[in-house]
Amino acid sequence: MAPVNIRDVRKAFGHVEVLHGVDIDIEDGEFVVLVGPSGCGKSTLLRMIAGLESVTSGDISIDGRTVNRLPPKARDIAMVFQNYALYPHMSVAENMAFSLRLKGASRETMHEAASGAAGILGLGDLLARYPRELSGGQRQRVAMGRAIVRDPKVFLFDEPLSNLDAKLRVSMRSEIKALHQRLRTTIVYVTHDQIEAMTMADKIVVMHDGVVEQIGEPLELYDRPANLFVAGFLGSPSMNFLNGTIRAGGDRAEFEVDGGARLPLPTAPAASDGRPAVYGIRPEHLLSDAGGTDAEIVLVEPTGAEIHVVARLGNDDVTAALRERRPYRAGERIPLVPDLEHVHLFDRDSGRRL
Amino acid sequence: MQTRRDAAILWLFLILPVGYMVAFVGYPVVYNLVMSVQDVTLGNLATWDRPFVGLGNYVELIANERFRLVVRNSVIFVTVNVVLQIAFGLAIALYFENRFPGARYMRGLFLAAWMLPPLVIGALWKWMYAADYGLINYVLESIGLSDGPIYWLSNPDIVLAAVIAANIWFGTPFIMLLLSAGIANIPRELYEAASLDGAGAIQRFRFVTLPMLKATLLAVACLATVYTMRAFDLIWALSQGGPIDASNVLPLYSYQLSFEQFRFGGGSAVATFSFVVVFIVALLYVRTIRHEKAM
Ligand SMILES: Nc1ncnc2c1ncn2[C@@H]1O[C@H](COP(=O)(O)OP(=O)(O)OP(=O)(O)O)[C@@H](O)[C@H]1O
Ligand SMILES: [Mg+2]
Repeated sequence: MAPVNIRDVRKAFGHVEVLHGVDIDIEDGEFVVLVGPSGCGKSTLLRMIAGLESVTSGDISIDGRTVNRLPPKARDIAMVFQNYALYPHMSVAENMAFSLRLKGASRETMHEAASGAAGILGLGDLLARYPRELSGGQRQRVAMGRAIVRDPKVFLFDEPLSNLDAKLRVSMRSEIKALHQRLRTTIVYVTHDQIEAMTMADKIVVMHDGVVEQIGEPLELYDRPANLFVAGFLGSPSMNFLNGTIRAGGDRAEFEVDGGARLPLPTAPAASDGRPAVYGIRPEHLLSDAGGTDAEIVLVEPTGAEIHVVARLGNDDVTAALRERRPYRAGERIPLVPDLEHVHLFDRDSGRRL
Repeated sequence: MQTRRDAAILWLFLILPVGYMVAFVGYPVVYNLVMSVQDVTLGNLATWDRPFVGLGNYVELIANERFRLVVRNSVIFVTVNVVLQIAFGLAIALYFENRFPGARYMRGLFLAAWMLPPLVIGALWKWMYAADYGLINYVLESIGLSDGPIYWLSNPDIVLAAVIAANIWFGTPFIMLLLSAGIANIPRELYEAASLDGAGAIQRFRFVTLPMLKATLLAVACLATVYTMRAFDLIWALSQGGPIDASNVLPLYSYQLSFEQFRFGGGSAVATFSFVVVFIVALLYVRTIRHEKAM
């Protein structure tokens, strides 16, 4: 158990810099999820914490000690790889106890540790099997068992669930979370799946193109995204963005969407009349109600719990997740009302929240 | 549904390889076996009518001092070659896994040695081994490791070692190539997982590389055995098996019996002997390969 501190860390492969100065503070026992689109540098950062990649500049410290130059084995961390990286020539028990074997532990110690981890993970009957005789989910558990046996300061996970089917992924998600609640070890978990990030994390780090876009608790990020990228990345279906201009001259603040329509604003930022901006509203915060802004339905997608209606508002299409069951039809016009408490405004150039 | 034409084509494709095997592998093996139980001389070589001598040729061979020396030489030649070629090949393959600048070109250079014909390599080494003007003696003398020429190829106590050294040099690059391919197939993550688990370089070799390479090593050992069992031209160019058979091995001896002394029955019996050994090793090889695929 240990805090992890990442200070202005950069990484270059040859001349190409892929991490451009990353700062993250991870507290002792925290479950931190690094999330971002493919290629943003999550795995690279994780591998740098593990010691599998060198640090080009900056500092990584674990438990208050700078580890930049320490080899992986001296960092006291365990990692679960995307494709598990189990030793194919070793049984489940041998895989899990391998780190102890390297330390010269006795047979009894190794057996105890392996059965202990197997007990936690429900692998008791499989100890004598070889990895090739296991299903994907079981391999996943063995890889976690191998990490648990180590009792490390930090667990690192690199997209551990991406090779599993959807149903198993959901159940492993809660298992890993339960495991964390039980062991209380610091976890750094990499995924590109925003739902995994939202459901598991104590703290989410959103990365994009080698920089950290925002760090915070899941709902904090969801409710107050710091910029357009975070706003669009978290949430499914993703937030609607409308380009337009703030109109704060009259008695009510309004947003004039390019191409005509007008949407209400709760309050306008100071001295913003006539300022071009981006209006963000999540699909679940758009209601269909009399007196709303008139929009033309383009597409109707029922999901069961809700009906996703894509409608044209000014020059842009917006998605509304409507709970009310009604036979919406393409071509029909509906009035849309945004929930004023959940309207986001972003600067059009910098993308930053206003 | 299978038409008659399909069936005909199937038969054709079955008969072609089987026919090839029978004609070009089966027939010579059987013919050799037959000759090894006959008294074949230059006079009756062209006819089928030769005196049957049963195991006479074999009995005679086993009683023969020369043959026993040749068998002993062969065992030493093959064992030392296989062991050292694999040891060196593995070491070099691992060395080239460290991707330093120029590694790929250097690995290519190593292969150049293997691309030369063995006769040429034999001639080359013969020069290097030459007692008076050879490179090896020159180097040894100039760094003070020996005073006076060593007769590498004419001293019966040394010649086998000299021939073995040349053959190791010749065979190692190919072994290295095969092992490199095997090493390249080991997933990187296993090494990363092992180093996180606390393994240093030696432990990673012992607990990851070696076990992951086991099947490859076994297959390569079989191949190397077969390759060195039939070594002929390199030795021919270096020492012709001499002096007084000190570097003679089975294929060379078989050749000498048949085509220098015209004792075809004896030559065939020696060949049969080699064949049995190679055949067993080849079976082992096929088994290893199949096992590897099943994994
Ligand atoms: N060994 C390497 N050599 C050169 N470039 C690399 C290397 N490893 C990663 N990169 C580059 O660094 C960037 C970040 O890669 P990284 O694997 O960290 O992405 P990621 O966020 O984990 O993506 P994914 O979700 O697809 O796994 C990518 O542009 C990638 O091409
Ligand atoms: Mg990755």
